[in-house]
Amino acid sequence: MSDPLLELDDVYKSYGEEQVLSGVSFEMDAGDVDVVIGPSGSGKSTMLRCVNRLTEINGGDIYLDGDCITDADTDVNELRKQVGMVFQDFNLFAHLTALGNVTLGLRKVRGMDKATAQEQGYEHLEQVGLLDQADSYPAELSGGQKQRVGIARALAMDPKLLLFDEPTSALDPELVGEVVEVMRDLAAEGITMLVVSHEMGFARSAASDIIFLDDGQIVEHGPPEQLFQNPQAARTGEFLSRLETAHEEE
Amino acid sequence: MQPLPLQSDWAFVAGNLDLLFDGTVFTVGLTATSILLGFLLGFPAGAIEVYGRGPLKRAVETAGVVLRGTPLLVIMILLFFGLSVSSSAFVTATIALGLRSAAYQSQIFRGALQSVDEGQLEAARAIGMGRLQAIRSVVVPQALRRSVPGFQNEFTIVLKDTSIAIVIGLGELLTVGQNLYQGGQSTAALEIFLTVSLIYFVLTFVTNRSLDYVDDHFSIPGGERA
Repeated sequence: MSDPLLELDDVYKSYGEEQVLSGVSFEMDAGDVDVVIGPSGSGKSTMLRCVNRLTEINGGDIYLDGDCITDADTDVNELRKQVGMVFQDFNLFAHLTALGNVTLGLRKVRGMDKATAQEQGYEHLEQVGLLDQADSYPAELSGGQKQRVGIARALAMDPKLLLFDEPTSALDPELVGEVVEVMRDLAAEGITMLVVSHEMGFARSAASDIIFLDDGQIVEHGPPEQLFQNPQAARTGEFLSRLETAHEEE
Repeated sequence: MQPLPLQSDWAFVAGNLDLLFDGTVFTVGLTATSILLGFLLGFPAGAIEVYGRGPLKRAVETAGVVLRGTPLLVIMILLFFGLSVSSSAFVTATIALGLRSAAYQSQIFRGALQSVDEGQLEAARAIGMGRLQAIRSVVVPQALRRSVPGFQNEFTIVLKDTSIAIVIGLGELLTVGQNLYQGGQSTAALEIFLTVSLIYFVLTFVTNRSLDYVDDHFSIPGGERA
């Protein structure tokens, strides 16, 4: 049997006295789309950031494709070439066009020449439906368009794993759809995704597994049908019903 | 009491325009070399204050505090008569003005670098860029744009502070003007000062307009103006 693509093994993280992750373990295989849900402050984003080491863990191990990536001698830049990230606040490079955002990594990190990088850049913009906005600057784009550029930028590096940190939380409700649609396409293409999101529509239709994180621990982990229809833990059920109420009020 | 009759002596000014022109060239030259030295030292200093750590950062911060807290006059006299860093008054004046400007410019760049959202650096790191490369490719281009207004200010300050170089014997614009009437050749002090002021104004206006142009040219479409 081959190694899982990503494995977290008993991961701990604290900020001073505050314990954020308390023994988190799970695995995902190539092609999986796992959606992480949980109350605010439960450690979802921290967990995600530990995977590309924007945040350093205090205990446990994380493996990517069988390699331990939390060793002291791991080259974080090499790791990050393989693990893309999409941010809640987009974090598009403000001084570059959409195309510039997508090609910067190809040129500076992958060392491609400008023409090849642009050719690939256009392809990735097309993939997120923004070919016509290639020359627009971030400030000229809508939130939904910004996030699609953010996704194209991450895709351009051809990562083994794509992390999404609440990709639709900063968007106006009417702009969420276009981003979710792109994410669904990626899931259908077999791209491995670890997604922190409360977009239940996406979770239901695209997730292989749902991970419910509360208070720095995985309370429940299973396929969407199980979590939504027959949650094993009382806390999961409570959280999901609160989430649904909140959605209906919107 | 009868007001004194206003006498003007513009003919005297006109007759000495060549001297004022030489003084202007000196002022422009000294400003240019000082600003350049200030940039070459001040930009890295600002970056070290933001991204550096340890003894280097503390050394840069201390040097900045000392230079900003010492009158330019004192710096210039110390460098020329005390340390004799150079036998050339022009070189010494450049070093004095340049060091002081570096201390000011470092704060302009520090503020500009700090104003760039942290997420920019994080996003650059997340696609596999090293820290230095991310700072260079993503943060610095944005910070430089934001430092133009502060830089305009600094340019004007250096331009006018070149006149302090008189203490080590450099005859730039203002000094040339003073010498003209203090030599007892004329009583046209007011005319001379008005002319000298006009020259300073034109220099300031032209450079500020040029920097406005730079600002416009490099502004990010749809984004905030620097």
